[in-house]
Amino acid sequence: MEDNEEQLKNEESEQEDFDDFEEEDTSRDLVVPGEVLTEDTKSFLPGRGTILNKEKNKIISLNIGLKHIKKNYINVIPLRGFYTPRPGDKVIALVVDKNPVKYKCDINAKDFGQLKPKNTIKKGKGRGFGGRNEPREDYNTERYDIGDILVVKILSADRLNKPELTTVGKYLGKKFGGIVISINSPKIPRVIGRNGSMIKMLKNLTKCNIFVTQNGRIWLKGEDLAHERLLIEAIYKIASEAHTIGLTDRMQEFLINEKKKRGIE
Amino acid sequence: MPLIIKDEYPEKLFRKDGKRLDGRERNELRPIKMEVGVIKNADGSAYLEWGNNKIYAAVYGPREVHPHHLAKPDRGILRVFYRMATYSVFDRKRPAPGRREKEISMIISDCIEPVLFLELYPGTSFEVFIEVMDADGGTRCASVTVAALALADAGIPMKSLVTAVAVGKIDKELVVDLSGIEDKAGGADLPYAITWFNEEISLLQFDGDMDLDELNKFLDLAKNALTSIYQIQLETLKSKFLKLSEEPSIEKEEALIEGEK
Repeated sequence: MEDNEEQLKNEESEQEDFDDFEEEDTSRDLVVPGEVLTEDTKSFLPGRGTILNKEKNKIISLNIGLKHIKKNYINVIPLRGFYTPRPGDKVIALVVDKNPVKYKCDINAKDFGQLKPKNTIKKGKGRGFGGRNEPREDYNTERYDIGDILVVKILSADRLNKPELTTVGKYLGKKFGGIVISINSPKIPRVIGRNGSMIKMLKNLTKCNIFVTQNGRIWLKGEDLAHERLLIEAIYKIASEAHTIGLTDRMQEFLINEKKKRGIE
Repeated sequence: MPLIIKDEYPEKLFRKDGKRLDGRERNELRPIKMEVGVIKNADGSAYLEWGNNKIYAAVYGPREVHPHHLAKPDRGILRVFYRMATYSVFDRKRPAPGRREKEISMIISDCIEPVLFLELYPGTSFEVFIEVMDADGGTRCASVTVAALALADAGIPMKSLVTAVAVGKIDKELVVDLSGIEDKAGGADLPYAITWFNEEISLLQFDGDMDLDELNKFLDLAKNALTSIYQIQLETLKSKFLKLSEEPSIEKEEALIEGEK
């Protein structure tokens, strides 16, 4: 367990996700699907979450979100949406079914993820030349049970096939204890903050371990229930106010006030 | 002895002062109220009050298709379930989905499909559940409007919103937004929906009699009405987020607590 906590501390540096919300040139313009972002198609190009109309003289938003101009691209940062798995993502998965060949994992995406036994065992060098002669009987599904919470990495994911998962790697594997909550996945960058500022602040003020993943699930474990409850409330508050300015400062104020009110230190 | 109430309609659908029975002008809409995010467990949801119509819509997806044989290998599908509550109309409506409900489910699905990018989600389904709590004419148009709102609220990429309104003819005069009585007793009825991406017609049904000149007038009338409904749709979607960003909530809460003391 101690190893696990150490790992989590190291993880902070890995979770540096770009936070478009805090960038200065992110306008606060709220746009909805079908809204015209610009009619100046010579100097701007359609970026993420946008489309050109048929006559190619208007750039149109596809999502409900914030208008964001980067160089000459117009993007829309979505405020609502669903998680689409991408190779390399680390996500929290729930084992929902298993058979002797594979585990079926709920990763909060449109398809269930597949975890094959060969991706749960670290391949060592077997006896013989070049590490061949691996024992075949190790490939069974007795390592995890239905209902287990796993941290998995996505090996492959595309539109057509079910995503393939692995638990071999740094920080991956079964999670013991703690609470898993889930929020809408486009709001995850906001929980992490710019260069991890929000997550560091949450960790310092509530003395909880937090593990935030891209599919909208958050694992947390604290010293006692009071701290955990405060943290959960804070995370839901971040999710509901994700599009506002100066959120980190406001959340800090909120946490300090709440701690005084509840008498926890 | 069962109580038998005959359908009786007034002979004239205009009052003496030239207004309609509910006091509207010819091109005036019924009062419209919309709200998004009303159902917590749905991915997206919306509520609409349009005159006496009260309609909920909930969206789930993309998710697996059940039964599995409906899934398409090259594209996703949009399934719409339009249902009327048993107490939504005067006579008790039998709860089983009937011919009318299946038809309306299909036309709503066909009407909204062009604005979605279903080819990006093969093998999956988007499901829209529309529940009519109270019906008073024009529920199919209201359902299209509210379903588009719920889809946008769910964060599903869309080319644009879809808006619908019914125009019709009562006592040989063209009017906008028919109510229940006008729908049944009137001459012609024309539900009309457009997508705002290139302003294409997405739904056009017709019942009654009219000539081609009248049809063109109908479409002009409907366009004006649709523009005003579209504005309400935009405001509703935005207001959910604008409400939060305008007021820094902590300060307000503190002020309230101090005020109580």
